[in-house]
Amino acid sequence: MGLLEAHGLSKRFGGLQALYKVDLRVEEREIVGLIGPNGAGKTTLLRLLLGIHRPDEGRVVFKGQEITHLPTWERVELGLAATFQNPRPLRRLPVIANVLVAAYGPRGGRKGDWVKRAEARALDALEFVGIADKAKEPASVLSQGELKRLEIARALATEPELLILDEPFAGLTPVETELLAKSLARLRKGGRFGRLHSEGCAMVIIEHKLSELFKIADRVVVLNFGEVLAEGTPEAIAQDPRVMEAYLGEGAYA
Amino acid sequence: MLSAILVNGLVLSGIYGMLALGFALTYGVARILNLAHTAFYMAAAYGLFFFLGRMGFAPAALLASLLVLLIALAAYKLLLEPLREHEATVLIVTIALALLLQEAVLLLFGAHFRSVPALLPGFVEVFGVRVAQQALLALLFAGVVLLLAWALLKGTRLGLGIRAAAQDQEAAELVGISLSRAGNWAVGLGAFLAALAGLAVAPMATLEPHMWNAPLLVVLAAVVLGGLGSLPGALLGAVVLAFAEVTVVNLVPGGAFLRTAVALLILVLVLVFRPEGLFGTAFAEER
Repeated sequence: MGLLEAHGLSKRFGGLQALYKVDLRVEEREIVGLIGPNGAGKTTLLRLLLGIHRPDEGRVVFKGQEITHLPTWERVELGLAATFQNPRPLRRLPVIANVLVAAYGPRGGRKGDWVKRAEARALDALEFVGIADKAKEPASVLSQGELKRLEIARALATEPELLILDEPFAGLTPVETELLAKSLARLRKGGRFGRLHSEGCAMVIIEHKLSELFKIADRVVVLNFGEVLAEGTPEAIAQDPRVMEAYLGEGAYA
Repeated sequence: MLSAILVNGLVLSGIYGMLALGFALTYGVARILNLAHTAFYMAAAYGLFFFLGRMGFAPAALLASLLVLLIALAAYKLLLEPLREHEATVLIVTIALALLLQEAVLLLFGAHFRSVPALLPGFVEVFGVRVAQQALLALLFAGVVLLLAWALLKGTRLGLGIRAAAQDQEAAELVGISLSRAGNWAVGLGAFLAALAGLAVAPMATLEPHMWNAPLLVVLAAVVLGGLGSLPGALLGAVVLAFAEVTVVNLVPGGAFLRTAVALLILVLVLVFRPEGLFGTAFAEER
């Protein structure tokens, strides 16, 4: 059984069929790339997995437990975490407080001096993404790239087993992109990062920068018009004519 | 004159501060624009009046505030939370709740003016102004309550969660905060603050079934001025409103009749010229 299994997810918004019977499976420590043209339903799928929207049809199973109807925060307790496409920090709070909110969650346990451990974890999450020096500043002063890293630190502070990233590379400089890609690869392998512990984290990554994504993804799922168009290794997907067609329009590659 | 404005403005700031902070908390976290907020304040004042006939001040005040807390949480769990997706309906239910409390008070106590005896009768001179000792007690009480509320919000993990939920609900849920639990706390704290304001005001004011109208307008103006959803903004707005009101009452002949006009004027001016308030984010970029 996979870490996460979505079966036949459908979602309609008014007259728009945003998703139609989509299956998605993520194994432990697997990085799944989710690509497709704008409006293909990628973000909708992500929001269904997180419980921000509820599917009209279909089920979501995480670690063998059905979570289709659980509220978002309970999914986070189980080990899901995510970042938004556009960073949404708590702008009026200091950077460290942004991460603390996440670190204080019940996933850190409630034994002994768990508060101290949560605080240490929050600092190490900032360290991991490389913005620990900004810990005391209000989140509103961070640059776009730093905000993206803050989002990731916040997600990591819950020590997730599955991390869902919506366009993590968008808006980053090439150097930042490469650093982040390396960090993600380390996270997937797992280990100790200061007092932050990762058993090895699976990921679902939505991304338009395909070359970057294909370097770290084990498997790529292509959505088009709300349905799964293709699925396979990055190499296979890169050569699939249907994918090129979906991105560029019919006949574009001929 | 200036010292009268200063002293009375401070006392009123304390009362409005408690009301506005409670209102902003309820709105920020539970997304309820609670038009029954000052009806809670009235209910606490009448509760104090009722229980005072039967026991001492401290137990009467405690019972009155617990009663209000109970009413607020019951209304939230039974009526408002199930409807929270329908904002207009929530708004209408809070109006209904306010009118319900008003009519209940009218039935139980009649339309007569009632009063609660001052805990500290007598007057003292402060900066050459004759001030009721009761008013100073109310100011002290408000100061302590607001400091405690601030310490809770700023210095505890619960407070951090509440502030996170007030700033961005989806983002807060995404880091594992239960909006339902945060909502319970915010509604409870908000109603409790309103009740405490009612208790502080009761010995200084005349109790009557419409006593919630004017403060509601003030609170709305204060939170809009401070920026809807901003907690420090609500407090600052309350101080501005209190001093504006006291200034008009002291400086303008017949100014006492213009009290509510001041709040209304500020409300309109802010909405026209700076709808996001002092600390709020503009509606367009709310997310």
